[in-house]
Amino acid sequence: MSILSLKDICFSYGKVKVLQNISFEFEKGKIYCIVGKSGAGKTTLLSLLSGLTNADSGEIIYNGKDISKIDKYKYRSKYIGVIFQSYNLITKFTAAENVVLSMDVSGAKIKNKKQRAIELLESVGLDEDEANRRILKLSGGQQQRVAIARALSYNPDIILADEPTGNLDGETQNEIMAIFRRLADEGKCVILVSHSPEVAKLCDICYELQKISKK
Amino acid sequence: MYIFKNAFKCIGRSLGRNVLIGIIALIIAVSACIGLSIRQAAENAKTDTLENMSVTATISYDRQSAMNNIMEDFDPSKQEGGFDREQFSEIMDNAQSLTLEDYKKYASAESVKDFYYTLTAYLNGTDTFEAVTTETEEENDNTSSSDNFPGMPGGMGGFSGGFGGGKNPMGGGKMSTGDFTVIGYSSDTAMTNFQNGTTSVTSGVVFDEATEDLNCIISEELATFNNISVEDVISISNPQNEEEVYELTVVGIYKSSESNDLSGSMFGIGQDPANKIYLSASALQKIIDASAEADEANTDSDEETAIKGTLAATYAFADVDSYNAFENEVRELGLDEAYTISSSDLSQFENSLRPLNTLSSTAGWFLIVILIIGAAILIVLNIFNVRERKYEIGVLTAMGMKKGKVALQFLVETLIVTMIAIIIGACVGAVSSVPVTNTLLENQIASQQQNENNIENNFGRPGGPGGDMPSMPGGFSGNFSDIKNFDDVFDSTANYISEIDSAMNLTVVAQMLGIGLLLTVIASAASISFIMRYDPLKILANRD
Repeated sequence: MSILSLKDICFSYGKVKVLQNISFEFEKGKIYCIVGKSGAGKTTLLSLLSGLTNADSGEIIYNGKDISKIDKYKYRSKYIGVIFQSYNLITKFTAAENVVLSMDVSGAKIKNKKQRAIELLESVGLDEDEANRRILKLSGGQQQRVAIARALSYNPDIILADEPTGNLDGETQNEIMAIFRRLADEGKCVILVSHSPEVAKLCDICYELQKISKK
Repeated sequence: MYIFKNAFKCIGRSLGRNVLIGIIALIIAVSACIGLSIRQAAENAKTDTLENMSVTATISYDRQSAMNNIMEDFDPSKQEGGFDREQFSEIMDNAQSLTLEDYKKYASAESVKDFYYTLTAYLNGTDTFEAVTTETEEENDNTSSSDNFPGMPGGMGGFSGGFGGGKNPMGGGKMSTGDFTVIGYSSDTAMTNFQNGTTSVTSGVVFDEATEDLNCIISEELATFNNISVEDVISISNPQNEEEVYELTVVGIYKSSESNDLSGSMFGIGQDPANKIYLSASALQKIIDASAEADEANTDSDEETAIKGTLAATYAFADVDSYNAFENEVRELGLDEAYTISSSDLSQFENSLRPLNTLSSTAGWFLIVILIIGAAILIVLNIFNVRERKYEIGVLTAMGMKKGKVALQFLVETLIVTMIAIIIGACVGAVSSVPVTNTLLENQIASQQQNENNIENNFGRPGGPGGDMPSMPGGFSGNFSDIKNFDDVFDSTANYISEIDSAMNLTVVAQMLGIGLLLTVIASAASISFIMRYDPLKILANRD
């Protein structure tokens, strides 16, 4: 049974149509990759899935409920974990503080949030020293790991990642993909947005978006 | 809870900007604290004094009002000239002067705590007993009768009882004074100069209250001048009939610290404090009655020669509220609207508060200006702050933090910075408000006094006690026989409240907290409206 599904989703920026009648199904325990050329609407689709924007028509069903009818803030803070292309971390906070903040926002009842944050960061390959560094003192790959740890902090069912390996070297890319594989094996639904064929190869299912031609 | 934690973290991580906001809030806080303290000090001075103040009042004929009525009825098309003096004289002649019985009736009002009166008459000396004077015999020869009382302005509308029962309204009437001002007191309480310590008996004792015996006390100077000691008998005469002589037994000799600057003034030597003779009101009434009988018995002359007494009644009240209630009570008891009730204590008290009130009013405006400018600066800083942190707002809302909570976090940050500034400002204000207020007050008093002196100089008059009559405020209703009241009026500048002890209190602290909250809300309102309008996707997309 799918945890998330898109039914006839259409979206346009003004008169420019970006997505037309998109219907995808996403299940737990699998890694999905949404591929397409630049301008095909990959990031737009991710924004729709993460509840940051609304479709012009069609439905996005999460666990049997239309997300347009549930509290978007609750949906974003509890049910899905989003890893943005540019990580979108609070730069004045440390890595651990970013993760703790995410736990706080979700309202997760965790006894020692700081300790749990450090454990999560360790699970994605950051040691305690790095966990206590401010974001701007970390490399791109480390920031990507922090973003993953933050997305996992409240144990959501779905992980959305926008170009998660876009800025990373080959070795780090493999490490990050290994983390996603582990998460899928743990039963999470991992949805990646990428234009990289190498990433697509490592995923279970690929959906391709076609750029809508102007007529 | 995490909102507060985050707010503290954000303040610490953006210290420079928050210190800047804090400094501005601190400047506002110190200025506000001093401004509020000044206002509080003025309020405290007023309430504290009013609480402990016993008020005295007098009833007087409102001549200014009578004049105004005449002027209102004046029709320039039908009547020539200006103010109708004849009509005014007629009104004043018909005006019933209040008798002792009237005064006593009004004293029965519930609000009155105490009632006393003085009776004043002017008598001449005799060959054996002369008034203290620095003038030569020729100059002083029976000239205590001053014919036209010069330059008495309408502003003197409040003479209690008036000379001759208020029937000499303007300078045209004849007015007699004598070598001695003989004052009869109804009780010890009426002897205000003995009560307040400006006068005290140095030898003998004061006459008994309400005694009809012709016992008196005289000044040391007068006693020395005439070689009089206690138990001696002095003779004084009717200025209009020198053959009419009264003998008084000196039972005491007093010393007064009152100024004798008025000796030789237009009031005559009788107004010299040294030439005041005190006795009981009953005793003086006995003399006046005897003089009236003698006048009636004298069929040789039509001219009225009886000694006239001036009655001045004073009502004492426990507090200002009682004084305020008094007017309604006496109106119910039948006091005509032509009479006014006034209190020189309250006038002097209000006068003493003038510099502090002026300062308080200035401080109020200063406070408003500071708050407006401060709030405007804080609004601008907060808007910059929000725009600078737009990305952070986008991230927080994208993470699922509600805009309201983001706005609350920003509000809490501003509140923390403002409150820290308010607390420091209150401490600085508490330490500095008293000296600053006193310095400002000193300057205010100096400026006020300078201003008053300049006005006096512009009129070519020397300032200070003994100044010319026209400078007296209208409606002065003090006891004319008690010259100290004049001094009080002229000396009023010296009685200004010139120092405050403590200005900060819980009210000021509460007001400071109120200002802190108000500033926070005002400063945050604009930034919150920005936050509520932001779309996280747009913020993050634009950054990407």
